[in-house]
Amino acid sequence: MGDFLISRLLSALVVILGTVCLVFMLIHLVPGDPVDVMLGESARPSDREALRVSLGLDQSIAIQLSQYLKGIAVLDLGSSLHTKQPVTELLAGHIPATLQLAFAALLCALLIAIPLGILAAVNRGGSWDWGAMGFSMLGISIPNFWLGPMLILCFSLWLGWTPVSGREGFSSLILPAVTLGSSFAAILARMVRSSLLEVLGEDYVRTARAKGLGESRVIWHHAMRNAWLPVITLLGLQLGALLGGAIVTEVVFDWPGIGSLMIESIQKRDYPVVQGCVLFISLSYVLVNTLTDIVYGLIDPRISDGTGR
Amino acid sequence: MRWQYLAGREVLTTTLRLQNYNRLLSLTLSVFSLRLSKKNSLVSGWLPAIGLMVLLLLAACSQPDDYPAIRMGLASAPLNLDPRFATDATSERINRLIYQRLVEFDSQSMPVPGIADWQKLSPRHYRFYLNDSANHFTDGGRLEADDVIATYQHVLDPDNASPRRASLTLIESVRIVDQSTIDFRLSRADPLFPAYMTLDILPAELLKKAHNFTRQPIGSGPFTVYAWPESGKLILERRHDHQLIELLEVKNPTVRALKLLRGEIDMLQNDLSPELIGYLQLQTGIDLQRRHGSNFTYLGFNLQDPDTGDPRVRRAIAHAIDRQGIIDQVMHGAARQAETLFPPEHWAGSGDLTRYTYDPATSRALLSEAGYDAENPLRLIYKTSSDPYRIRLATIIQSQLKAVGIEVDLRSYDWGTFFGDIKRGNFQLYSLSWVGIRTPDIFRYIFASDSLPPIGANRGRYSSPSVDRLLLQAEAAKTLPQQASLYRQIQQQIHHDLPYVPLWYEDQVSALGARVSGYELMMDGNYDGLERVSIHHSEDLQHAQTAAAY
Repeated sequence: MGDFLISRLLSALVVILGTVCLVFMLIHLVPGDPVDVMLGESARPSDREALRVSLGLDQSIAIQLSQYLKGIAVLDLGSSLHTKQPVTELLAGHIPATLQLAFAALLCALLIAIPLGILAAVNRGGSWDWGAMGFSMLGISIPNFWLGPMLILCFSLWLGWTPVSGREGFSSLILPAVTLGSSFAAILARMVRSSLLEVLGEDYVRTARAKGLGESRVIWHHAMRNAWLPVITLLGLQLGALLGGAIVTEVVFDWPGIGSLMIESIQKRDYPVVQGCVLFISLSYVLVNTLTDIVYGLIDPRISDGTGR
Repeated sequence: MRWQYLAGREVLTTTLRLQNYNRLLSLTLSVFSLRLSKKNSLVSGWLPAIGLMVLLLLAACSQPDDYPAIRMGLASAPLNLDPRFATDATSERINRLIYQRLVEFDSQSMPVPGIADWQKLSPRHYRFYLNDSANHFTDGGRLEADDVIATYQHVLDPDNASPRRASLTLIESVRIVDQSTIDFRLSRADPLFPAYMTLDILPAELLKKAHNFTRQPIGSGPFTVYAWPESGKLILERRHDHQLIELLEVKNPTVRALKLLRGEIDMLQNDLSPELIGYLQLQTGIDLQRRHGSNFTYLGFNLQDPDTGDPRVRRAIAHAIDRQGIIDQVMHGAARQAETLFPPEHWAGSGDLTRYTYDPATSRALLSEAGYDAENPLRLIYKTSSDPYRIRLATIIQSQLKAVGIEVDLRSYDWGTFFGDIKRGNFQLYSLSWVGIRTPDIFRYIFASDSLPPIGANRGRYSSPSVDRLLLQAEAAKTLPQQASLYRQIQQQIHHDLPYVPLWYEDQVSALGARVSGYELMMDGNYDGLERVSIHHSEDLQHAQTAAAY
């Protein structure tokens, strides 16, 4: 397990470094200049140049990148070009909201998808199966920018149960979490169903039934254990995406997360903030995927032993 | 003192919140690891983990604020409350409330005294006298001539790279006469000089100490910053009656309107689609106000392009666009047709220009004269920003141009890319708006042949010797009426040459919920009306009680 973890962490480090360098170069290649955004069109060329020098933008990309990497080593991510706030401070202001929304959406998705997927698999071809798959199709098809306002209209405006938007109190979390979680639940329910159906046809499940075990024990203790593997893969990928910022949902519900911070920074060409967001997102992905690998090992020891298929 | 107290309170609250967060996080992780170590009970381990996740979410939620504020929804939050460096419209509008200026504008955009009256001692020498409307700064000091000088000198220093410097470079020197009198000497005469004296004044003492005005503004205006707990929420306090005004960022216009209907915000202004304006108009308890605006929307041409460089093509396009139809049908009447940059009520405005009427037959004839027909149609690329409303208007223009035989390829880009292309002259057609323009020196900036980007905003590469000559004459004119007459001639010439198709001036729109009243809309979209907005009487009593308990 130790070697497995070390190899995962080393590859994670390479991934993060590669992502940071790639994004650093790409953001400098996109058209648009932060100096234009800051000074406007009326500025004189000498003023532009002075600002460019003071921001360090006159240096070559390689030098800027090396300075940025040195900064990362001492946890200094620079300051926003526009508000002058340290990037770490900006990220710290947005990360709690992102974590909160991501975990709430995940929870919402799990609570809907797992029972629905199991019911659909156990009652294959029956009304539960049709109902669950119909919900799943609907969840995948409805875009968040439509579902969000519809939920607001229904639960905030007509019923008055939740606030329209913002991040004030637990009730303000419900609608964004449901909006974000519903499409995830739809995908997850399909995955649970297909994965469980595959496992339910295996010999060891037939043996368990032949031994006279109850159906719920067969499903939860025998079948689901193996059905979890693909589901956990999907969970890892989706959680990474959720931590990366659910931009549409954040905008609809004015949720002050990383996604909206990154979009605003890209529009303003606020390079240090964009870099900070990318760093956080890549770290999240790597962390979640490493955790997923560890959980694989716990569920199926053959994976960490290297004896798996 | 209040600022420090609030900052301290914020830090304390955040720290406590984070401590709770960490404690719960470590608890969750330890339970997870406990459950995971028992391999056989992995599935049953989900339930307590989910329970803890709920606990974590509950703990992480902040509680709604409980203070008697008037809440205003904004499409975008302010970025920078330091007026020397703020460039976004929201910051500039809020800075107007926090700081004071030497000069203001009247309804015709003529400069009028703000906190100072002025006297023209010679064409290149102006004397400003601070008057009684100059307030004390919120840190206690009185606004005096030192503060004016320190602010102007700071902005004029090229090392400070202030975006406000460009409009003030004609100032040769600033000198104090006494504590309420300041002399400005100019490098060249300009009768419009007082109109440029709109810098927000900062306290000299704090300028010396390099105070961070960006986040902790100290001004002498009618409002002070009460708290800025997060980037999307700024709370101002009106100084004369301590009424709190919460400015809340709500990016999505539909959500902003729904928040107003639900009473989560009390008012909003502009950035609404025509459908939302129509919808709000029908709701009971919503007071929808409209007034003419001065923000000018136009369709710009690249005059160096072989197609759009042909004046017959530009005139054909002008006659092919049904501006009034778009205003009536799409914008629900929330705009008025424009013929030039300034609306007719502006002191240098030109109300007698002949309209480019909607006339598809003339348009087709002009295109035919320019050598285009059904066999050989005119094909153009039209660039616009990614704003959905702008894309929609562009799509309508695209369909109107198609009706006269012009094939338009519509392309929308994110702001940085779009604006970069426009400045480089990499376009045939584009649409944009000029917002908040007051002084006719804008004509040099946009239409002089030597004002190509990055020096100016002559994005279409327009070049007219007669306009260049008239600009020089206008700048040398000794009085404002003479200047106004020359600027009208410039507008006539530009209207004839058509480097822009003038489209419309969009109306200013505000919507007030039932709880508040007294808000007055400004023509330029500023938030000055917040000085008089109030909570209705029954709420007032409650507010007074709560304020006393603070």
